[in-house]
Amino acid sequence: MTQFVQNLIDGLGNGSTYALLAVGVSMLFGVMHLVNFAHGELLTMGAYVIYAMRSNDISWWVAIPVAILSAVVLSMLIELVAFRRVRAASAFTLLLTSFAIEILSHAAWRIGVSSTPRRYEAPDIAFKVVELGPFNIEIWDVVSILVAVACFVGTAIMLRTTMFGLAIRAASEDFDAARLMGVRANRVISGAFAYAGLLAGIAGAIWLVRRGQADPRMGAEPLLKAVIAAIIGGLGSLPGAVVGGLSLGVAEVYFRSWLPSDLQGLTDSFVFVVIAVLFVVRPQGLFNVRTAERV
Amino acid sequence: MAADRTAPLARTVTVARPTVGAPVRSQLRSVALPSLVGNLGFLVVILAIGALYASGGSSARDLLIGDLFVNLVLVLGFQVFIGNTGVLSFGHLGIASVAAYTMALLAVPSDRKTVLIPNAPWGIPEIELSPLAASLIGIGAGIAVAFLLGLVAARTSGLAATMITLAFLAIVRQVAENRKDLTGGAQNLSSVPRIDGWTWPVVGAAIAVGVAVMFRSSKVGRYAVATREDELAAGAMGVEVFRPRLIAFVVSGALVALGGILRVQSLGSIGPSQFSFEFTILILAMLVVGGMRTVTGAIAGTVLITVGKEVTRFLGDGPNFLGFDWPVVDGLPDLFLAGALLAVLLTRPNGLLGEFDLGRWLTRHFVRRPARAATPGSESAPEAGDAATADVPTDPVVSAVAPAGPAPADEALTTAGLGVVFGGFTAVDDVSIRVEPGRIHGLIGPNGAGKTTFVNLLTGLVEPTTGTVRIGDRELTGAPYRRARAGVSRTFQNLRVFPALTVRENIAIADLVAHDHRSHRPGVSVDELLALSDLEHMADRSAATLDYGNQRRLEIARAAALRPDFLLLDEPTSGMSSAESLAMVDHVRRIATAIGSGVLVIDHDLGFITNICEYVTVLDQGAVLAEGTAAEIQRDQRVIDAYLGSQHG
Amino acid sequence: MILEVDRLTTRYGALTALHAVSLHVAVGELVALVGPNGAGKTTLLSSVVGLLRPANGSVRFEGTDVTGADPAANVARGLALVPERRRIFKDLSVAENLRLAGATVPKSQRKARMEEMGELFPVLRTKWDVSAGYLSGGQAQQLAVARALMCEPKLLLLDEPCLGLAPTMVDVIFELLDQLRAQGRTILVVEQQAQRVLSVADRGYVLRTGEIVAEGSGPELAGRSDLFDTYVGGS
Repeated sequence: MTQFVQNLIDGLGNGSTYALLAVGVSMLFGVMHLVNFAHGELLTMGAYVIYAMRSNDISWWVAIPVAILSAVVLSMLIELVAFRRVRAASAFTLLLTSFAIEILSHAAWRIGVSSTPRRYEAPDIAFKVVELGPFNIEIWDVVSILVAVACFVGTAIMLRTTMFGLAIRAASEDFDAARLMGVRANRVISGAFAYAGLLAGIAGAIWLVRRGQADPRMGAEPLLKAVIAAIIGGLGSLPGAVVGGLSLGVAEVYFRSWLPSDLQGLTDSFVFVVIAVLFVVRPQGLFNVRTAERV
Repeated sequence: MAADRTAPLARTVTVARPTVGAPVRSQLRSVALPSLVGNLGFLVVILAIGALYASGGSSARDLLIGDLFVNLVLVLGFQVFIGNTGVLSFGHLGIASVAAYTMALLAVPSDRKTVLIPNAPWGIPEIELSPLAASLIGIGAGIAVAFLLGLVAARTSGLAATMITLAFLAIVRQVAENRKDLTGGAQNLSSVPRIDGWTWPVVGAAIAVGVAVMFRSSKVGRYAVATREDELAAGAMGVEVFRPRLIAFVVSGALVALGGILRVQSLGSIGPSQFSFEFTILILAMLVVGGMRTVTGAIAGTVLITVGKEVTRFLGDGPNFLGFDWPVVDGLPDLFLAGALLAVLLTRPNGLLGEFDLGRWLTRHFVRRPARAATPGSESAPEAGDAATADVPTDPVVSAVAPAGPAPADEALTTAGLGVVFGGFTAVDDVSIRVEPGRIHGLIGPNGAGKTTFVNLLTGLVEPTTGTVRIGDRELTGAPYRRARAGVSRTFQNLRVFPALTVRENIAIADLVAHDHRSHRPGVSVDELLALSDLEHMADRSAATLDYGNQRRLEIARAAALRPDFLLLDEPTSGMSSAESLAMVDHVRRIATAIGSGVLVIDHDLGFITNICEYVTVLDQGAVLAEGTAAEIQRDQRVIDAYLGSQHG
Repeated sequence: MILEVDRLTTRYGALTALHAVSLHVAVGELVALVGPNGAGKTTLLSSVVGLLRPANGSVRFEGTDVTGADPAANVARGLALVPERRRIFKDLSVAENLRLAGATVPKSQRKARMEEMGELFPVLRTKWDVSAGYLSGGQAQQLAVARALMCEPKLLLLDEPCLGLAPTMVDVIFELLDQLRAQGRTILVVEQQAQRVLSVADRGYVLRTGEIVAEGSGPELAGRSDLFDTYVGGS
C-alpha cells in the first residue's frame, strides 16, 4: 500500500510534464489537424535559455520566466514561418513538416552551440526529500503536480470564460463556421500556438530545473511521450490529454516497479504494447472526439 | 410529352463480350514493362556515373556508392507501402533491424560468438551459416514480423497506423538494447561477414526496382493505390482496404529487410542504434523529396539526398576547397536534410517529381500506341451509342417490352422497413422500395429529405437502425466493399474519382474487381466503356485534370465497369445545365443498356427524374411521400406541395 | 446599395460554379435568391462573405471592395451569414454560441445584445446553458440566426433557413423573416421553397447552373410558372 501511494505520487509528478505537453499537442490538433513533433523543441529552447542565464549567474526567478517566454515566442514563430504555409495541406504533409522543423532545430543547436551537452547546476530544491509518515516525498514532485493542476484548472477556466477559449473550442469543432462568427483564422491559430507554447514552457521549466543540462536532441523523447498521451486521450480532446498524460506517467512508474530487474529496460516497450492493443480496440482513443466527415 | 419520355431502356444491344482477363493482363504488361525498363535504365545511368566517380578516388568513394544503393533498397521498400497506400509508417526500419539481427546471429562465425555472446539461447553460438543462407532466413524473419505488424497497422488507418509503427520501432530498439545475452546490447555485434564492393547493393537495388514496379502494376498494388486515392470510393468499387494494405506492408517489409541486411553486411557490424528513428527520417526525406508516388521519384530523391549530404558533410569538415578555408560546421548535413525536406514540403508537397514516372514518360514520347481505329472497342461502341440515342424517342411501344441488352439480372433490389436514427433525429424512416431489375427507378425529394442517407444505407456506409436490403433473396450486409461485390455500385454526389490515376486506370480498377467477383455478369471492356463515355481521347490523362462533366461520366463508367446488378447514381446532374442534364439522360440509358443493369437515380430535379425514369419514389422528411410512374408523380399534389411549399396551389 | 456583386466567377477545381453573376441589394430590402440545388446559391453566398475566393469579379459592401476579404473582417463590417445546415457549435452551450458570435461587439454591449436575443427567441432563453447539440432542428436554426444577429449586421445573409425543418417550423422561420423585416433589416435569403419566399420578398433572383436567369420583384417572379418548370416537371 505504501509503495502503491509512493508510486502514484512519483507517477503523477512524472505524468504532469507529459500532460502539460499533451494538452498543447491536442489543442493544435484540434484547430488544424497537426500532430506537432516540433513541439518538443520548445523544451530545448527553454533549456538553452536557462543554461545561458544560469551560466551568467542570473537568478532562477528571472531565468524561468524568460525560458517560458522564449518557448511562447518560438512556438508562434514556427507557426508563422512554416505551418501557416501548409495550413490546408494533408495531415501527412503537416506531420512531415513538423519533423523537418525538429531536425532543423537539432542541427541549429549543434551548429550554433555544440553537440556536447551544456550543463548548469540544479537548485537545491530540485532533489529535496521530506519524510511524511511512511512516504518519501520529493518537494519538486509536489511543486510539479501543483503547478500542473493550476495550469489545467487555468486552461479549463480559460476555455469556458474567455473569448479566446470559446474561439479555440469553436474552431476545433467547425473552423469555417467560427470564421463566420468573426473569429480570425490567423489569430486563433497563432493564439493556439502561443498557448501551447506557454504550457510547453511551463512543462519545460518543471523538468529542466532537475535536468541540469541542455543538449540539441533533448526535446524529442518527452514530446514522443506527450504525443502518445494525447493519442491515448483522443487527439483534440483536452481533458483526454490530461488523463492520457497522467496515466502514461503513472503507468511507467508502476511498470518499472513491477517488472523484474532484467526487464526494467523494457518499460517503454510494455507501455507501447498496451497502447497498441488499446488502439486496435478503440482507435479513436479513450475520449470520443467528434469527427466531421461528410459524404 | 412526359409519357413517351418514360420509356425504359432501349432495345439496342451493345457488344457485350464477357471479358476474360486477357485484356486486363496485357494491360498490366503494357504498364509494367516500360516502367521497368525506364527505371532500371535510370539505375544504370546512376551506376555509370557512380563508377566514374569512384574510379578516380579513394575507398571512401566506394563506400558512398555502396551506401547509395543500399539506401535505394530501403527507400524503395518504404515506397511500396507509403507511396501506394498513402499511410505513413515509421516502423519499417524495425523490420530491417529484426531481419539484420537474425542474419547476423546466424552468420557471425561460431568462434566469435562464443566470445561476444556466450550466453545466447537456442544454441545460437554454435550455429554458423553461409552469409547467403543467413540472409535468406533474415528476410524470412523480416517478412514474418512485417506480417504480424501489418495485421495491426493495416486494420487501423491514418494516424493510428503511423503511431503503432512508431511504437514498434521503439520496442525493437529497446529489446535489442536490453537482451544483451542475445544481441550484445549497446555494444555492437561485430564480425558480420562483409560484402566487398558494391555488386550486391546494386543487385539489391535492381531487385527493389523490379519489385516496386511490379507491385505498383499488380492487381493488389492497384487496389492499394485506389484506397490511397479515396478509401470511400475504393470501397464503393468493391475494393477492400485491409488486404491490399497488408500485402503492401509485407512486400515492403521484405524489401526493407533486404536493405537492412545489405547495410549491416557492408558495415560488418550491427548495433541497436543502427536502425534508429533519425535514420527513418532520413529515408523518409529521400522518399518525400523525390516524390513518393513513383519509383522514379524515390530513386531521384535517394540520389539527391545522398549526394547532398555527402557534399555538405565534406564542406562541414572544414576543407580547403576552391582556394578557401571553410569553417568546421558540425551538423551541416542535418541542416541540409531539414532544409531540403522543408523546402519541398512547403512548395511541392507531392515531391519534386510528383506523379512523374520515367516509364510512363518514355511510353508517351517514344512508343506509338496502335491507331485508335484498330481497337475493337472504339469501333463498335459509337455505333451502339448512336443507335441507343436514336432508338429511344422513336420507339414509344418499347415501354411495354422487357428491356433487352445483355439479359438483366432477374432479381429486384428491395428494401424493407429501412430506417436510421442519428442521436434522436430520424433521418430515414421505414422506407420500403422495390427497384425492378433492368429498370431505371428514380428517388427524388427536396433537399434534406434523406436521399443521400438512404443511398448510404443501401451501400453500407451507414448501418441501419431497422430494416434490410436485398437483391432477390440475398441480403446485403456488411462493409461497402462487400455490397459492391454483391451487385450494387454507386457514384457520389460530390465526385469521387481517383484523382491522381488516369481515366483508364480509374475504370480498370473496377474492371479488375468485376473480373474476380462479378464474372457471372456480362461485362463491357474498359475500352468500350471509354468509348461509350466519350472519354477515349483523354484515357491517359489523370482524372483530376478532367472538367466536371467528364469526371461525372468517368465516375459512371467506373461504376458500370463493376458489372453491377444495380447502378446507384447520386445526383448525377448536380451542377449541370439543362442541356447537359438532357445529354446525361441519354448517357445513363446507354450505359445501363450496355451492362444490363437496373438503375436507381437519386436527384432533386423532378424534370430530370421524370425524363429518365419509368418509376419514381418520392422521399420527404425521411419517409416515402409518394410513388408511381413518372406521370403519376407529376400530378401528385403532395409532391408539388413538397417542392413548392404550402403556399402553392 | 449596401451590396453590389459584379460579374462574380467562382470555381471548384474543374467546375465553374458561378459564371459572372451580378446582383445587388439596397438598404431595407428583402431579396430572395432561388434556384435548383446545385445552381450555385451557397457558392454565391460563400464567395460574398469570403469563405471562398472568387476567380473573377468583385464584391462591394457599402461601397468598399471586399472581394476575397477574410470572413471575420466582413463580420466586423456588418456582413453576416447564417450558413447552410446551421453549423452551430454543438459542444458549446447556447449562451456560449451567442457570446462567441458577439466577439466583434464591444464588451459593454454584449450582455445587452444577448438579452435581446433572449427576447426575440424565447425558446433559446430557456436553454441558455444547454449544449447546443441538444437543440431540435428548429431551435438550432433560431440559434443560428440569433448568432448572426449578435454582431448587429447591416446585411444578413440566410442560406436555406428552412432546410430539413418540419412544416410547422418552416412557418416559424417565415414569421421570423417577417419580424426581421419589420425591424427594418436588410436581408438576402436563399431558399428552396422558391414561390413561398418570393411572394414575401421585395425582389428576387433566379439562379440556374451558376447564372442569373431571371430577376424582378418577388411576387412577379413567384407568378412566373415557366421559371419553375424544370423544378417540378410539367406541373
